[in-house]
Amino acid sequence: MLSTRLLTKRYGSLTAVEDLDLEVSSGELFGFLGPNGAGKTTTIKMLVGLLRPSSGSARVAGFDILADPEQAKARIGYVPDSATLYDKLSAREFLEFSGDLYHLPRALRNRRIDALLNLFGLADRERDFLSGFSRGMRQKVSLAAALLHDPQVLFLDEPTVGLDPQSARQMKDILEDLCREGKTVFFSTHILEIAERMCTRLAIINRGRLVAVGTLEELRRQAGAESQSLEQIFLELTGSKEEDVGAVLRGLEG
Amino acid sequence: MRNLGRSVSFGLFLWRTQLIMFLNQTVRSRKPGRLIAVLGGGLVLLILWGWEGFVTALALQASHHVRFDLDVARLFSLGFFAYTGVLVFSSLVFSLNALLLNPDLDLLLVSPQPVEAVLAGRMVVQFLRLLVLSLLFTFPALLVISVGSHNPGILVGFATLFVLYPVWPVVIISLATLFLVRFIPAGRGKEIVTVLSLVLALGINLLNFLFNPALRPGGLRGRRGASPNLPDVPFATGPFTPPGWAGRSAAAILAGHWLPAAGWLLLLLTVSLALFAVGSRLSGRLYLAGWIAAVPPRRHPGGAALARRHGRAIPLLDPVVSAIVIKDWRMRTRDIAQLARFAMPVIFLFVLFGFRSTRLLDSVRSLGGGPVAATLALLPSWVLLLSLSSALGLTAVSLEGRSIWIYNASPNTVLRMLQAKCWSVALPTALAVSIAAAITESLVHPGWLWAVTATGLALVQALAVTSLMVGIGAFFARFDWTDVRRMLHPLAGLLGIIGFLAVVGASALLMAIAVALSSAANLPLPATWLAAIVLSAGGAIVAATFGLLLSAARLRRLEPG
Repeated sequence: MLSTRLLTKRYGSLTAVEDLDLEVSSGELFGFLGPNGAGKTTTIKMLVGLLRPSSGSARVAGFDILADPEQAKARIGYVPDSATLYDKLSAREFLEFSGDLYHLPRALRNRRIDALLNLFGLADRERDFLSGFSRGMRQKVSLAAALLHDPQVLFLDEPTVGLDPQSARQMKDILEDLCREGKTVFFSTHILEIAERMCTRLAIINRGRLVAVGTLEELRRQAGAESQSLEQIFLELTGSKEEDVGAVLRGLEG
Repeated sequence: MRNLGRSVSFGLFLWRTQLIMFLNQTVRSRKPGRLIAVLGGGLVLLILWGWEGFVTALALQASHHVRFDLDVARLFSLGFFAYTGVLVFSSLVFSLNALLLNPDLDLLLVSPQPVEAVLAGRMVVQFLRLLVLSLLFTFPALLVISVGSHNPGILVGFATLFVLYPVWPVVIISLATLFLVRFIPAGRGKEIVTVLSLVLALGINLLNFLFNPALRPGGLRGRRGASPNLPDVPFATGPFTPPGWAGRSAAAILAGHWLPAAGWLLLLLTVSLALFAVGSRLSGRLYLAGWIAAVPPRRHPGGAALARRHGRAIPLLDPVVSAIVIKDWRMRTRDIAQLARFAMPVIFLFVLFGFRSTRLLDSVRSLGGGPVAATLALLPSWVLLLSLSSALGLTAVSLEGRSIWIYNASPNTVLRMLQAKCWSVALPTALAVSIAAAITESLVHPGWLWAVTATGLALVQALAVTSLMVGIGAFFARFDWTDVRRMLHPLAGLLGIIGFLAVVGASALLMAIAVALSSAANLPLPATWLAAIVLSAGGAIVAATFGLLLSAARLRRLEPG
């Protein structure tokens, strides 16, 4: 459903993503982990067609994102990390606009909008301007827009940021349901507990390079520690040091 | 006194931070485009300064030979009085911006500084900005006068005036704003600022029309003597108000009478310091009393029926194009700042031509019928076209702002977006321009053939020029701004005007050639005229297409989102 081959993105002398090889199958809930600035968002933006790779290739839902971007994008849903939406549109108007962009027939579009607004508990706010929405509500609207055209692959960049625990749980349920229906979900997150509980497979990226990929068990084997938590594996594989925080804070006091 | 010192030092700290930010964004940015812009701007400033210095030197020379019986103190008082208007407007916008739009005030207010010091510090920044602005305009003239009259104190004296004079209006307006914003609903700041700007701009234009003697039938006659009659405005010229003190001080500085100059300056300084001290304390209290009203979330007006009607597409348009057109117009009409960009040109056209219509119509009608009258009748439509096409076309793509990712992630091409943007702005512009052309042509009566063809040309030009503006705006698109004033790249504005002048100028030239050719080669005038119209329309369409294709190629490379 999703594959990348030597996918690379450079900004001048900075290599944000280097030679990324990934394979994700239908029905997988794929977690993409990495520290800040590791290249997660850049990778996702290349996969949804917002950034052009410097080299390498990517295929999504059977279409090359560079050679056939319209066909690929028609099968992709995308929720960015900070959803900047049109503030002067109401939630319903925004969803109508999104549906039209994906060429949905009007009757089907309206039916799905009603269903999604109800699902996300936004039905009573459908005529409110998005400028009045909290970050979590915007995130929900953004997810509703991404689901509107029934995409085969859903990309989510830090989807649980800004969501209250109830909504985060709801999102988790929705993503699992989508995978059961055979859709592919590719998401990045900092919250390792969520990744540990939800994902069928995980990839860890550090400084633009893929350092590990596989199920949690496979990652444990790669890290050489059978009983470690994902957090410990993550720190091990990304080379992050567990600093003596207390000592640093005591240093600040002086 | 300690509080005053703390406010001033906090203001200087803010000023230094702003200077660092300015330097980081310009000379330290390491971006060639910005460096070129800084160098170009500096060069233009030097040229303008040189010109101002040269003109001042000439005037200084002339003043030795021609005796003017002029009340210099009154002249300066009136000048400072007029400057008060600028100060009131700028500090109103500055204060409203700071209180309602910029989150950095919150950042400052959570720092361990008294609220009074933060608010007063921002006023100090305003005084310094106004000093720099005043010197930007007057420095060469003051320098030449200082050197020419062997009076080096002139520059220092005026600089002191430029710092002190703004204190009273800035303090009063800041306090008034702090008081007023308590009644402005949350989230409406930008709209309030826009409406105020609009009202003030229209008011100035109307006042200018009503009171400017140059616009009266008699023109400037009666003011041309060696002794110009200066109006007597008691508030401005009397000895009991700040403009009067500043005017008297300025006149004394120029004449080298230092004792009276210092006296008036001292009076201004004392009042300014007292006002600043009282204003700082009061502003702190006003702020702490709560300056913003809480309002319920804003809802889309109208009921479900309205929402359902809005859900429909525009007939005959592709659904994606239609969705973008509807979305753009919703965004423009719901944001007063955007709406003003659309409404302002129409209002100004009315102010500009409406009041003078009888005189203008008589002049054009005196030419008789025919192509020349038909072309002249297009002038208001061209003014409207320039205003509308630049206001709407140049910002059409940047209007997407940071939300551009939504379109870019969708299965649609860049060209389709540009096509939608053209529909979105070219249709209303063409409608407004062709209506204006039809009205003026029917008022001028150049003959039906000339009137119909000229109106047709205005329609095609409106479609083409607006599309060209969309292309130019897309080439220089700015997706980081939601403020319509900042969406527009200065170079795009300049190129837009050049593009408009090229299209309209070429049309006017072709029409003139058509008339000349007809009389010189004895060709039928309708034939040469129609050929000119077709060539003009064709050229405009080619220019627009070229602009759109270029911008599409650039947008594809930009990777916005």
